[in-house]
Order: sequence, then C-alpha cells, then structure tokens
Amino acid sequence: MNSRLSVPQPRKIDRDQLSYLSDSSIVIPLPKSVDRAQLEFLSGNGNINPPLITSIDRGLVRYHSSDGIIRVPKAQSISRDDVKRLRPKLTVLENNIASPVTSGSRFFPPFEITQDLENKAASRIAQYPSEESRSAVLPLLHEVQHKFGFISLESIDWVAQRLNIEPIKVVEVVTFYPGFRQKAPGRLHVRVCRTLSCAMGGSHKLMDKLCAITGIDRAEADGHKDPISVSPCGNFSVEYAECLASCGTAPVCLVNDDFHEGITADKAADLLDSYENA
Amino acid sequence: MSDVNYISGKEPHEKEYRLIFKNVDREGWDTSIDRYLQEGGYEMLKKSLGMEPKAVIAEVKTSGLRGRGGAGFPTGVKWGFIPPTNTKPVYLICNGDESEPGTFKDRYILHQDPHQLIEGMAISSFAVGAHIAYIYIREEFPEAAIILEKAIAEAREKGFLGQNIQGSGFDLEIYVHRGAAAYICGEETGLIESLEGKRPYPRIKPPFFPAAMGLYMCPTIVNNVESLCHVVHILKMGGEEYVKLGTPRNSGTRILCVSGDVKNSGYFEVEVGKVTFRELLYDMCGGPKDGREFKAVIPGGSSSKILRCNESFKIGRGDDAKELEFWDLPLDFDTLAAAGSMAGSGGVIVMDDSRKMSWVLNNITHFYAHESCGQCTPCREGSTWMRKISDRLANGTATPDDVDTLEEVAYQIDGKTICAFGEASAWPVEAMIDKYRDELIADTSEENRFRSEERVEQEKFLSKS
Repeated sequence: MNSRLSVPQPRKIDRDQLSYLSDSSIVIPLPKSVDRAQLEFLSGNGNINPPLITSIDRGLVRYHSSDGIIRVPKAQSISRDDVKRLRPKLTVLENNIASPVTSGSRFFPPFEITQDLENKAASRIAQYPSEESRSAVLPLLHEVQHKFGFISLESIDWVAQRLNIEPIKVVEVVTFYPGFRQKAPGRLHVRVCRTLSCAMGGSHKLMDKLCAITGIDRAEADGHKDPISVSPCGNFSVEYAECLASCGTAPVCLVNDDFHEGITADKAADLLDSYENA
Repeated sequence: MSDVNYISGKEPHEKEYRLIFKNVDREGWDTSIDRYLQEGGYEMLKKSLGMEPKAVIAEVKTSGLRGRGGAGFPTGVKWGFIPPTNTKPVYLICNGDESEPGTFKDRYILHQDPHQLIEGMAISSFAVGAHIAYIYIREEFPEAAIILEKAIAEAREKGFLGQNIQGSGFDLEIYVHRGAAAYICGEETGLIESLEGKRPYPRIKPPFFPAAMGLYMCPTIVNNVESLCHVVHILKMGGEEYVKLGTPRNSGTRILCVSGDVKNSGYFEVEVGKVTFRELLYDMCGGPKDGREFKAVIPGGSSSKILRCNESFKIGRGDDAKELEFWDLPLDFDTLAAAGSMAGSGGVIVMDDSRKMSWVLNNITHFYAHESCGQCTPCREGSTWMRKISDRLANGTATPDDVDTLEEVAYQIDGKTICAFGEASAWPVEAMIDKYRDELIADTSEENRFRSEERVEQEKFLSKS
C-alpha cells in the first residue's frame, strides 16, 4: 500500500525562517510533529540519491539544495511499509534508552507488571509523604532492576505512570546513576573496584584475568557511556566500579549482590567456579 | 567491657579504644535485636525519651562531637540550626553513602551492628523533633540494606520505633533508601535531591542550608553513620565524660581506616588525636611491606591533600608553634588542617616507594572525572581535563608544560563550584604537584611536544590561516 508522505518542509521558504542558508544546503528547525522514520528515509537510507536531507542534528534538518529550493521526490514511490521496514519509529525515549539486546538478555525475563511488583511498589511509595511520591523513583527502579536485570523502556514508562510523573524524570535518573544498567548484564555480573587502594592491590590484574577466563572483550567499554561488557556466552559480564568501600581488604568485587574481598587475580577462577551451580 | 572477646585474628590493637566498633568482629555477636538488648541496647533511647529534647541537644553540644563524614562540623551546633519558629515537619537523614575512596568504617557498622545506628537515629530524631528518618545507603551495600530493614522491623516490633515509642508519645518511622552508585550523593544537598527522586545536583548554600530548607524544603538534619552512633555513647557517658576522650576540640573516638601499602591494613578505633602517624603505621599496621619504605600518605580519604613522609610541618601559632615531623603528627581534625590537609573521613591511604606518583594521580583523576555530577562547568570540564592530562603523564606522552597546565586547571576548579566536590577533585592534584613536581616532570619529555596528537592538530589549524 502506497501513501503520500508528509515531508517536513516550510511551505514557502521565508528567508527569516531559515536558520542558515549556505551555497548548497538549507537548514530549518525540525518540525514538532515529524516521523523520524521518514526523515531517516529521506536522508538516504532509502533509494533517494543524492539524499535529500544531508543531516539531522540537534533539532535542525539540513536539506540538500543548491538554490534555496527544496525538491521533494515523487512521494508515490515510498510506501509506509518500506519506511517501517527500513527503520522502526523512534520516540525521544527510544533514542535515549537504547537497551540493546546482549548475549545476557536470555537470562532475564522480559519486563511485565506482576502483582508482586505492584505490591512492592506500593510499599516503597508508602515510605514517602503522599505528595512526594517522586522520591520513590530510585526504589522502584531498584525493584525493576533486581527482577529484570536492567532498566528497559517499558519499565521506565511503568515507573513514570505509577508515580504520576513524566517519563523524562525517570530517564534523567536512569541515565545519571551508574547503579542503573541500561542493558542486560550476564547471568553473573562482576563489578571490580578500580579506585586507588584496590588498584594498588591489583584490581586491574583481576579484571584482565576475569576477561581472559570469560572471553570478554573490554575494548569497547566506556566508563561513562557503556560500562558493561558481556561475555559471548552471556554467562558473565564485567564492569569497573568506583570505590566499593572495603579498601582494607583490596582488591574487592561484587558478584551480583554478593560482596567478595581479597580477590587477587589468582583467585578469579575459583570465584567464578563457586557460582557454577548457582 | 572486660568480657568482650573478639574473633581470633581480628582482636583490636592495644592502643585502640573501642566504642562504636565494640561489637565489630566480636565473638558470638549477631545483628539480632535480642543480642543487642542483652548488652543494654536501647536503654539510652529510653533514657533520652525521659529528657527534654533540648537537654539531649545540649548534651551533644557539650560532648564537642564533630561530624565524622568529612567536614568535621560540630553535630550539636548543626542540630541547633533548625529555625525555632519552624512549623514544618523535620526530617533526619543518616548519610550511609560512604563512598570516599579509602574509607570503609560505615560498612562494618551497617553490616554488623545495625541496632546501634537505629538507636542513635531514634535518639537524634527525638532531639531534633523528626518523626520520619531515612537511612540513605549506597547501592553497593545490598546486603546491608536487607540487614537494616530487618533490624528496623525488629525494633518496631519491640516498640522502639513506630507510634508512641515506649509510652512517651513520640512517634518515629525509619526507612531505608538505597542510592545508585553516585559519589556525589555523599554531599548532603546532593543526597537530599537524590532522596527526592532527582539527579543529585547539589544545592547552593546559602540559601539551601538543609537545617532550614532541606528535604521537601523542610528542615533536615543530615548526619554520618558514625556520628549518629556516637550519640548513643554520649548519652551513656554524659557529654562531660565524653569530652574527656581525645584532645581538646577533637573529642571522642574515631575510626581510622588504613589501606594500601602496609603490612596489616584495616580499621582502628582510637581516641582522636591520641595516635600519631608513627604509632598508626608502624605499631598498629606493622610498618611497610618487606623491603619497602613509606613514601606518602593520604590522611583522610582521596580528596584530602597528600602528605610526604619526609616532610616536617609548623603546627600552631605564636608561642605554641612547633615544628613537627610527619611521623609525629597526631591524627586529629585541627592538626591535619594545620598541616595543609584534612582529617576528612578517616580513610588513610598509604603508598610506599614502589608507587609512581603519576600513576596514583591518574587513578585519582579518573575517579573524580567519573563522579563529577556535571552541574558546574569548572568541575565538569576541569575534572575531565585533569584526567586527560594525567593520562599523558601516566603513559609517558606528556611534556613538562603539562604539569603546569594541570596545576592551572586544578586551581581554576578550586573554590568555583556549588559544592565541595570542586575542591575534592582539585586538592589532590594541587597537592600532588606541589609535593612531587620533580617526580612528575621526570616522567615527561620535551620530545613529546612534537608527537602529541593535540599538538599536531594545533599545528594544522594554525598553518591554515
């Protein structure tokens, strides 16, 4: 089924409306209601060559144009099905919370609202004055993460709904705190302390050893954006943590919720083995 | 106290004075309320409920107790800041976000003696008139959160929490609130924001002094775990007696956490100011590892300024001034401040001569770059720059100028941010450069000037125009 697409473009190009006009492109602010998928399509994901839209950046759409006129290709050739196939529609939330599927995902149930979760949420919310239920954001997220392994999009919506706040207020919390994971870790998630005393005690060697045993590649890991690395089998994942507050027994690590102290590199294998049947 | 036995191998050192840690590593001890009651637990709560709240505050003021979280502010004075005309609810928050690198005292209180904390919180709540109290506990202590919630339920069952405690008409509920692994939540206004369910961006003081405008804009008292535990002992001993422990203006005991390059690392509860570095590191910790020598010590958590072991300091003013070697410095709030560092949270990190200072500096700057909340520009950008420059120092691609640049960046953060994180991240860098400039410069090379990526980019840019 083919249908006409509405392409974001000003009806008449008014010089005052233009943010910027260079010799080969026009930049206009991204219209408020716009289908991201269509934009993506017009940026060259589809069969338009050269791409009509050369970039979408920080709320601005940059059109390809050498003379100040936007030429939209015949719309009939693009079907909505094509667009869907090429790129699913992304909301602002989806853009920020990617929650990519990892090899560890299979160990965690998909998010669902159970009676148990509702009960736990209710008792957490009751800890705070009734008009200040936003305080329960962290406790609710902890409940979710404990059960489902990480904070998914659906769970953010649920928390926001439960507390009657905008989803962005939950997102800002999830994206700030290193304690909330945005993708599934492995079945055993090991957090190794990398701060001074543990580093002096050999936590870097411990991390290298853990990676060697489990086949984890930390090359892509980034302390800020993507701290968790999952093994190909999905059984293990590792992450560097900042000071776990047991500097006297360095190096230390957390395996899921269990704390282990004095884990030098030579004890790494035994540590993982102790969870063999867990 | 004579019948207290400790697990073998974990006995306290003879120079220790166990008050808060009396039950830590104790033989036959557990976290149940029955065990705590056997030792006269919750008697001080009963005693305080028979007193006027003002009298409890006065007792704590008399004791001279200084906050054990890092700043060393007198606890009783803090309690007195609640506006007398206040009509809003008052909150008490226990700061259990222990996350200063080098500090691990609260871990043992929370895991092994939760009722001591709950009793301290109940007494303190009664003193300041709070009916709801929160324990903000760091996410990395999942087990402690469970232990505390169980202990709270037990205390409630026995009538030490809840409605009309022990028939006094005083109501109190304590809740556990778990953080989510952010260092900045240890800052009291950041903690309050976090408890309100937001990003923990610290608030500016004034006007947001928690005692006047804290949690939900109501008067709020935020105290460290250890400080709240001391309250129990102050009531037990009486402020007058308690103040005799330690030294003038530095009363009581405090827990020193020693980690790093010593033979026996661990925790030692001592009278404040009664132990010098020599006693702590040689007598109590067994000295340096075999074949090594002590090089430097960070005396109060990683934000405090590093001290060289071969330095000497002028302590005191006027006629009282004396020259003290590093080893003879007592570990109290005022002496360490006079030596240019701070007692902070009691986390003593020791480095021996095998450590390269550029590596140590790099580890510290990585921590602060990761933990900056990003609210104030000097800190957000500065901590990242300090990390980048120290990366170069650590991997040997720095030029001698980089040390100066690093110092300049540090001084541009110091004092220019909303909360004390700015200082916390800048001080270790400033001190490290001040004390080990030659060693840092020795790791750099003039040659690197022509090799660095930034230099190449810069050249390219300049040659364009």
